[in-house]
Amino acid sequence: MHNTATAPLYDAHLVYQLLLTTKYLTSRVIPLIAVLAVALCVALVIVVVSVMSGFLHMVQSSGRTLMGDVIVTYGISGLPHYDELIAQLEENSNVLAATPIVDGWGLLRMPYPESEAKQSETVQVWGIEPISFAKVTSYDSSLQWKTPTENQRDWLLLDVITENQELLRDEMQDDDWNELVEVANSASSALNYEDVGLWTAVQQIMSDEQWSRTLALDERLGNPDAILAQGLTLMQNGRDGIVSGLHVSEGNERQKDGTYKVVRHDYWWLPRFDGTLTMLPVDSEGGVIEPESVILPFVNEFQSGVFMIDESRIFVPIHTAQKLLHLDEAQIVDEDDPTEIVGVDPAKATSILIRGVAGLSADELEIIVENIYDQFIAGMPFDTTVMPPSRSNPGLTIHTWEEQQRSFTGPVEKERELMRTLFSIVYLVVAALILSIFWSIVYEKTRDIGILRSIGASRGSIVWIFLQYSLVIGVLGSALGLLVGWLITKNINEIHDAMGNPPLGMAIAAFAIAGGITILTIAKSRGGQMLPIVLGILGFATFAGIGALVLFIKSIGGLVIWDASVYYFSIIPNNVDWPSSIVTAFGAILFCLIGAVIPAAKAADTDPVKALRHE
Amino acid sequence: MSNLILEGIRLKKTYQLGRASVPVLRDASLQVHEGEWVTILGSSGSGKSTALHLLGGLDRPDKIDGGSVLFKGESIWEQTNRRINQYRNSDIGFVFQFYHLLPELTVLENTVLPAMIGGFGNAAEKSRTRGTQLLEQFGLGHRLSHRPRELSGGERQRVAIARALINEPSVLLADEPTGNLDEATGNEILDVLSSLHVEGLTIVLVTHNLDIARRGDSVVHLRHGQIDHPANLAHSGGIAPNQAT
Repeated sequence: MHNTATAPLYDAHLVYQLLLTTKYLTSRVIPLIAVLAVALCVALVIVVVSVMSGFLHMVQSSGRTLMGDVIVTYGISGLPHYDELIAQLEENSNVLAATPIVDGWGLLRMPYPESEAKQSETVQVWGIEPISFAKVTSYDSSLQWKTPTENQRDWLLLDVITENQELLRDEMQDDDWNELVEVANSASSALNYEDVGLWTAVQQIMSDEQWSRTLALDERLGNPDAILAQGLTLMQNGRDGIVSGLHVSEGNERQKDGTYKVVRHDYWWLPRFDGTLTMLPVDSEGGVIEPESVILPFVNEFQSGVFMIDESRIFVPIHTAQKLLHLDEAQIVDEDDPTEIVGVDPAKATSILIRGVAGLSADELEIIVENIYDQFIAGMPFDTTVMPPSRSNPGLTIHTWEEQQRSFTGPVEKERELMRTLFSIVYLVVAALILSIFWSIVYEKTRDIGILRSIGASRGSIVWIFLQYSLVIGVLGSALGLLVGWLITKNINEIHDAMGNPPLGMAIAAFAIAGGITILTIAKSRGGQMLPIVLGILGFATFAGIGALVLFIKSIGGLVIWDASVYYFSIIPNNVDWPSSIVTAFGAILFCLIGAVIPAAKAADTDPVKALRHE
Repeated sequence: MSNLILEGIRLKKTYQLGRASVPVLRDASLQVHEGEWVTILGSSGSGKSTALHLLGGLDRPDKIDGGSVLFKGESIWEQTNRRINQYRNSDIGFVFQFYHLLPELTVLENTVLPAMIGGFGNAAEKSRTRGTQLLEQFGLGHRLSHRPRELSGGERQRVAIARALINEPSVLLADEPTGNLDEATGNEILDVLSSLHVEGLTIVLVTHNLDIARRGDSVVHLRHGQIDHPANLAHSGGIAPNQAT
C-alpha cells in the first residue's frame, strides 16, 4: 500500500502553478492581444460614459448657473411691483439673492458685413440688472473679454484716431499729424492680418499731453480692466450697452485649444461696434404695437458654454428692455378722455430669478418662494391699480431651474434614456468579447490541461492556473484601459480637433508606410506564401486608407464631428467619470475571470484521455 | 514470480460514438509483476491503448461491471480524486506516442513538472538535480533550456521518459513510444527502456509491432478488446503468453 507518511504534499501547488501562469503569459502573443483587447474595451466604455455623463452634468449645472435655483415667471405681460417682491424675497434668510429679468425676442442688426446691407440675427433679449443678476447667476465669470489684447487695443486706438480726426488735427503740429495719418493709414490695412505695434508708434508721435488726452477718449485705452467693468455694468462711456453671446457674432471662431479668435485679426471684435436692437412690444391684450429700435454699443461678450444660449442670447440693461417692450412705468389714462391720468402702470419684469443659500435644495427653496409670493399678494394694498397675478393664475409659474429647463432638456433626457440603453448594450458586448477571448484561449489549451491531468495535476489547481492567468490579464488590461481612457477623455477636445483637421504630415507618413509595406510584401511574397501577401494587402489598405482619408478631410476643409450647434455645448466634456470607470475596470477583471474559469473547469473535468485527444 | 504490482481485472470499456455503443475492451484481464516488462500487443482498434489508459488512471472503466485496476492491491478507481491524482503523479509514469510535452516549458521544466505538481516544489533543487541527471543519462544534458519544438522526435520522447521517471514511479507505462519515430530512433528509445528495465524498472508497453514486443519479458495479445488465447498467439510468432487469469 502507498505510504501516506511519505506522500507528497499536494497542497504545495503554488510553485508549478506560478511557473505555468508565467510561462503562459510570457511565451505567447495571445495574452498581449488579450490585454490590449481588455484595455480597449475598458477605455471605450470609460470614454463613452465619461463624455455622456459629463454632457448631462453640463446640461444640468449650466441651467443652474444661468438661471439660479427658482424662477418666478409671468409671461409676456410681466409682473408688476417686482421690486417689492424682490425686497420681500431677500428679507428671507434662505434667499441669497433675487434679480428681475425682462425676457423677449428681438432682431439685432450686426455691424458686419462691411457693405450697407448688414446682417441681422434673431436674439433672445434678457433685460437684466447686472449687479443683482451676477449674484444669482455666474454672469461675471461668463464674460469673455477681461482685458483687451495688444492687438485689440491697437484697433480701439485706431478707432479713436479715426473718429476724432478733427480734434487731433487741431491739436497736433502738421509734421506730427502727417506722420500720424501715415501710421494710421498703413495700420488700418496691415492690422487686418498682423500685429503692427500701433500703440508705441502713436505714443512716439504724440506729446505726452496729447497721448493722455487721446487715451481719455476711450476708457478702455487707459484702463485695461475697463472692458470687464463695462460688461459688468452694461454701460460704456455713459451709454447703455449690449453683452452678447459669444456665438451671436459670426466673427468669433473657436480655436483648437478652446480659446476664441476674432476673424480678420480682431477686425470684427464686437466691442468695437454698435448694434441696432429692435423689439416687438405686445400690449396687455396681446396685440402687437409698433416695433421699437435702439442703437447700443457692444460692451462685452459672454460664454455660458451652452451653445444654444451663446448663439442667441444678449443682455441689455433691464430699463432698456422694459422700454422696448413697453413694460416700463407708464401713466394710465382714462379711456374716454386721454388727457385725464387715472393712475400709474408700474414697471414690470417677466421673470424673477432667485438663488438660495448654499445647502438648500431647489425644491425646498421653491416652497419658500411660493409662501413669500402668497404673502406678497396678500400684502398688496387694496387700492393697487395694477395687481400682480395670484398663484392661481395659470400664466404665473414658480419653478425650480430643473422644471424650467424641462423644455430645453427634454430632448437631452430622452437622449439620456437612449444612452443608458446603449451603455448596457456596450457593456454586454464588451463582456461577451472578453468572455469569448478567454474561452478560445483556454479551449486551445485543452490538450495541455489533459497533459497536466495525466501527470497528476488536480482539477482545482488547473482552474487556479487559469484564474491567475486571467487575473493578470484582467488587471493589466483594466489598468491600461483606465490609463488610455483617462488620456483620451482628458484630451478629447484636442483629439477631436486633430481628427477634424489632421496634419498633412500624417497623410505623408501614412502613404510612406503604405509604400514601405508594399515593397516589403513584394519582397516577402516571392516564395508564393499567402500570409505575407494577405497581411501586406491589409496593411497597405489600412495605411493608404488613412492617408486618403486625411487628404479627403483636408480637401473638404476639415471635419466637425462634435458640432457645437447640435450638442448645445461648445466643448466636449472631458472629466473622467471615476466611479463608473472603476466599476467598469473591476467588471472587466470579473469577466476575464469568469471567461477563463468556465472553460478551464470544463477542461479540468474532462477525463485526461479525452482532453489529450483534443487538437 | 516476484510480487504482483499492477493488475487489471475483467476490464470493460465502451465508447459512445453518437448513438452507437462501441465496446473497446471486453473482459480483459492482465497482471504485471514487479520488475517485469509486459508488452500489450495488438493491431489498431484492438483496445490496447485503452487498456493502458485504464491501468494508468487516465481513463475510467465502464461504470457498470467495468472491472477494476489494482495497484499493489489497492483498487484505484474506488479511491478519491486526490488519491487518483497522486497515483498518476508518482505511482506510475506515462509515456505517450506523441510525447505530450508542454510547448511553453523548457526541457528541464517539463521533466521536473510532475515533481512540482506532486508538491516537491519545496525541494526544488533536489528535483532539478534529479531531472538534470535523468536528462544527462538520456544524452540531453546540452538541451536543458531548449523548448520541445527545438528537439527531434527521439529527443522529445527521451524527455517524456525522463518526465515519467522524475517521481521514481513503481511502473512505467508506455503507449507506442516509438510509433511516431523512424526505426533507428525507435530502437534508441527501446534501448533506453531496456537499460531501465535492467536496472529493475517495471514496464508495460503497448505496441502493434512484434519485433518490439520481443524485447519484453511477456506479451499479452489483445484482439477485439479481449485477451487472445495462447493458441492463436502461435500464429503470430510464438511468443510466450503472459500467465494471466
